[in-house]
Amino acid sequence: MSRTTSDVNPRGEVSRRNFLRLSALASAGLASGAATLPALAQTAPKKGGTLRVGFYLEASTMDPHLSGSKVDRQIYHNIYEPLIVLDTNLGLKPGLAESWQQPDARTLVLKLRRGVKFHDGTDFNAEVAKFNFNRMKTEPKSVRKGEIASIDTVDVVDAYTIKINLKRPDAALLATLTDRAGMMVSPKVIQERGSELERNAKGAGTGPFEFVEWIKDDHLLIKRNDNYWNKQGGPYLDRIRYRPIPDDTVKLQSLQSGEIDVIDYVQPRDVAAVKADRNVSVLDVPSLAAFAYQLNQTRPPFNSKPLRQAVAYALDLEQIVKGVWLNVGVPANGPVPPTSWAYDKSIPYIKRDLAKVKAKLAEGGKPTGFPFTITTANIPINVQEAEVIQAQLSEAGMQVKIKLVDAATQLSDGNTKNFDMISYQWSGRPDPDGNIYQFFKTTPGMSLNWSGISNPQIDALLDKTREASSREERKKLYGELTRILQDELPMVYIVHPIEPKAFSLRVQGYEPIPDGMMRFRTVWLK
Amino acid sequence: MAGSIRGSDIAEPAPAIARAVTAPPMRERRWVVLRHAARTRLAPLGVVVMLAALVVAVLAPIVSPHDPLKQNLGNVLAKPGRAHLLGTDNVGRDVLSRVVWGTRVSLVAGLGSVAIAVVAGGLLGLLAGYAGGQADGLVMRLMDAVLSFPPLVLALALGAVLGAGLTGVVIALGVVYTPTFARLMRGQVLTITAREYVEAARALGAPGWRIAWHHVLPNAMAPLVIQASLSVAFAILAEASLSFLGLGIQPPGASWGSMINAGRGYLQQAPWIVFGPGAALFITVVGLNFVGDAVRDALDPRLRT
Amino acid sequence: MGRLILRRLLATVPVLLLVTAGVFTLIHLTPGDPIDVMMSESADATVKENLRRELGMDQPIYIQYAAWMGRLLHGDLGHSIRNREPVIENVGKRIRPSLQLAGLAMAISLIIATPIGILSAARRNTSVDRVGTSFALFGICMPNFLLALLLIFFFGVKLRWLPISGYTDPLEEPWLGLRSLVLPAITLGLALAAVVTRTLRSSMLEALSEDYVRTARAKGLSEWRVIRHHVLKNALIPVVTVLGLQLGTLIGGAVITEYVFALPGVGRLVVDAVFARDYPLVQGVVLLIAVGFILSNLLVDLLYGWIDPRIRYR
Repeated sequence: MSRTTSDVNPRGEVSRRNFLRLSALASAGLASGAATLPALAQTAPKKGGTLRVGFYLEASTMDPHLSGSKVDRQIYHNIYEPLIVLDTNLGLKPGLAESWQQPDARTLVLKLRRGVKFHDGTDFNAEVAKFNFNRMKTEPKSVRKGEIASIDTVDVVDAYTIKINLKRPDAALLATLTDRAGMMVSPKVIQERGSELERNAKGAGTGPFEFVEWIKDDHLLIKRNDNYWNKQGGPYLDRIRYRPIPDDTVKLQSLQSGEIDVIDYVQPRDVAAVKADRNVSVLDVPSLAAFAYQLNQTRPPFNSKPLRQAVAYALDLEQIVKGVWLNVGVPANGPVPPTSWAYDKSIPYIKRDLAKVKAKLAEGGKPTGFPFTITTANIPINVQEAEVIQAQLSEAGMQVKIKLVDAATQLSDGNTKNFDMISYQWSGRPDPDGNIYQFFKTTPGMSLNWSGISNPQIDALLDKTREASSREERKKLYGELTRILQDELPMVYIVHPIEPKAFSLRVQGYEPIPDGMMRFRTVWLK
Repeated sequence: MAGSIRGSDIAEPAPAIARAVTAPPMRERRWVVLRHAARTRLAPLGVVVMLAALVVAVLAPIVSPHDPLKQNLGNVLAKPGRAHLLGTDNVGRDVLSRVVWGTRVSLVAGLGSVAIAVVAGGLLGLLAGYAGGQADGLVMRLMDAVLSFPPLVLALALGAVLGAGLTGVVIALGVVYTPTFARLMRGQVLTITAREYVEAARALGAPGWRIAWHHVLPNAMAPLVIQASLSVAFAILAEASLSFLGLGIQPPGASWGSMINAGRGYLQQAPWIVFGPGAALFITVVGLNFVGDAVRDALDPRLRT
Repeated sequence: MGRLILRRLLATVPVLLLVTAGVFTLIHLTPGDPIDVMMSESADATVKENLRRELGMDQPIYIQYAAWMGRLLHGDLGHSIRNREPVIENVGKRIRPSLQLAGLAMAISLIIATPIGILSAARRNTSVDRVGTSFALFGICMPNFLLALLLIFFFGVKLRWLPISGYTDPLEEPWLGLRSLVLPAITLGLALAAVVTRTLRSSMLEALSEDYVRTARAKGLSEWRVIRHHVLKNALIPVVTVLGLQLGTLIGGAVITEYVFALPGVGRLVVDAVFARDYPLVQGVVLLIAVGFILSNLLVDLLYGWIDPRIRYR
């Protein structure tokens, strides 16, 4: 099932519309329109059943304020609720906050939803919201501090209205509140349970499902919240059972053999086979993620800009996306994914140009090429991509060694800037700020700015993106940033992957949201 | 057993190895070896396999039909055919060529790690057995500690410390196998030093190390040789297991284990990626076992079955 | 006997000290630390520093070791950094699947190996024997990860007879639980069976060449009678000891099997802990595995010494 026409035009532009269209078309049995699972036309959703979900990793903690890992979020979006939620187009919609206004750039007023109760029976109101924000700011182990760094204080205006006072304008804040930083936890549970909340979240959320139990490395169980405030459109499932299955192949085989109903990711190499399998349906969900390599600017060889550019011109992104990712993704022009409103389709991705490579090598003083090491995580697709890149670069005269490391070593090497070129996968955030700011802002000491870039022009632009208020303005700024980043190259971006999710045929009603989080409120079993 | 890294040293009960000590004296042994080898039909097969593996490993550049590193993204996962006898892998490389070059890696891993273990273990065992007393106690405690350490954890941790790559794995496996040889050597030393010719040498005033080197060592080698021949097979399997977990040779180089690991996800679409190296691994290990068994049977008629 | 046991137990103390020092040093030498792994997507340096200080990770390594030993002597194995639960509890939860898997694997190996071993020894150097020894060779030489993949492929995906991942406790749900353990138990059991076959065969051959057997044969007893009444019992002793020795290895060593079949066992626990640099968990579990290994060896040695008075240890 290979596509013969190129999905990207010759100038290397991928339009957002095309990206979404690609994904929709690629899903089983669709013509056009929103990408949802085929539902039998006249069948109404029915309640009942246990959905068995297979994930690749074990969750770390059930406390959203202390969570630093991506897998936790999958569970959170079913048992907790954020103030603001995303729709299928990454638009901001009311969550636990019914409406919001910004009277000025440093104030955000949120009107909260009434009649919402936590699973333990306590009410959700403005005091609760303020309590949560304070906890995120003051709890010593809170990982949300950085995300809400722009928040100064939170005032309770009345029982269902809060006013957030900002230290500085923060255009990305609303999007940040669609994830963990906006999730409300029951103060009663926090006060009574303390650190035990990390393992036991009974009663702690307001979501369509509530926590039942978590047996580490075996399963995590949540059940329907019959007192959920939204009486329309679900939840229907009785229970959801999450199981960590670390091995990708076994995970897929478990789905194919009917042992589980949902898997969160299908490897590109399996996509064709899974699509041909009649017992399973596949949904291609465009993601916010990016796959890139950081280039270490703090030491040779990549402290030299021409040499970084030589690498970028030597890479053939189309070949990588076609050969390694099997077109389950599109070549990237920079950190902003095509799913985002900020995506500028007029900026092409960097195309291979061996003549330019020669010129840049000469400019950098290495006309015959130079050796360096690519550090990458020990995952099959990373290995494959690294091998292809190695072959491409050797054609251009650069001798590359590949160093495979486990996750802990990769993080350590990156944080201590002990690498030449290191792979980096970012799961993506709904607001482009989350994909950009912390990677390219000048930051002394340890940070996610592994490349060590320190460029005053970029810094100024980054700050402006946070201060600007309109999307058009910000989009223009991000466009400028993308162009500068293609020149400075602290990171070489390869691909924005599509994250295919696979389901057994019994699963109906799934609505995919491009942040990759699987929300099961609308799902029912045939 | 194939499931644990240490393998065969646990498989034989202690008395059997102890009995290997009471072999007939040197002169007659050569006859026994050859006569027995001629009788056993399997041994020659094992030798053939081993020699083939060595030849393939040494002559890899000549024997291999294609460049094992040459990718061809237009011809991935191709079925076995005339151009590619074992098909191609997920980036279009010739599987047969990679299996051929993988022989080098596996043999280096197997022979290298056992060599380290024999030398280190042998010396330590010699020291412990001959010096006795406190040195003996210390060395044996150390060996017990290494032995009780879960081997996979040891290999993983050493691999992370020494850096990814074949060297790390070889050293890690060498460490894991050392106690076996140390124990064997020590047992041998204890028995042999009780024999008359050693007593005689000592009575004549020969220095300790000379006795150790000239009299004890040659006679003690038999069980170590037996164990070494068996351990090489297990070391090759162990290297394959470790690369399954992500340690060992770095891409784009290939070992049989890393090929099986990489090909695992394609088992349904392109099983030749797994079965090519899998068969090579199996045949080599079986051949080595034949040789090891034959050596053991030859050097100890009591164990002959 | 009691004094011997006591002496042997005391002798294990320095060994355990070496093991703990070894694992402590080794795991702290590996690059990366647990905080970075836990908070991989966060750049909050102060939170990370706070956590490190709270866990005592900012101290020099010998102080950390002394502190850990101090707690150990009070019976406190520490808490996992990732889930804050005591190490003992973490292991306790995982020991059951590992034990069940090991037990089932040993049972399978005995079921397969006993008839083959006996027949091979009884019909020595005939084709039956060759089949038997070939099977034993196959089991030993087959890489177990390859075997696991093949079993999953045929029995799980193609035939759909058995579940290919996950664990159900047979003590709670016997039928489902057994089914979830069958494939991994066969993977381990086949290799074990090979070892047991060899051991049984060689010990039977040895027993069959003993004088009392010749006497029994001379008295006119049938071969089968001879085997059953005189030989088998003695021949099984080495088998039991081999299995006993393997138990220690199986508990912590069935890592690959546990990984491929997604079983929550001890092997996976410790390997995941190494990957996550969960220092207390690695140290605690390695210590427990080492203790288990040493104790099972001790038991086997004593058993052997008791059964065969010719083998006594000084």
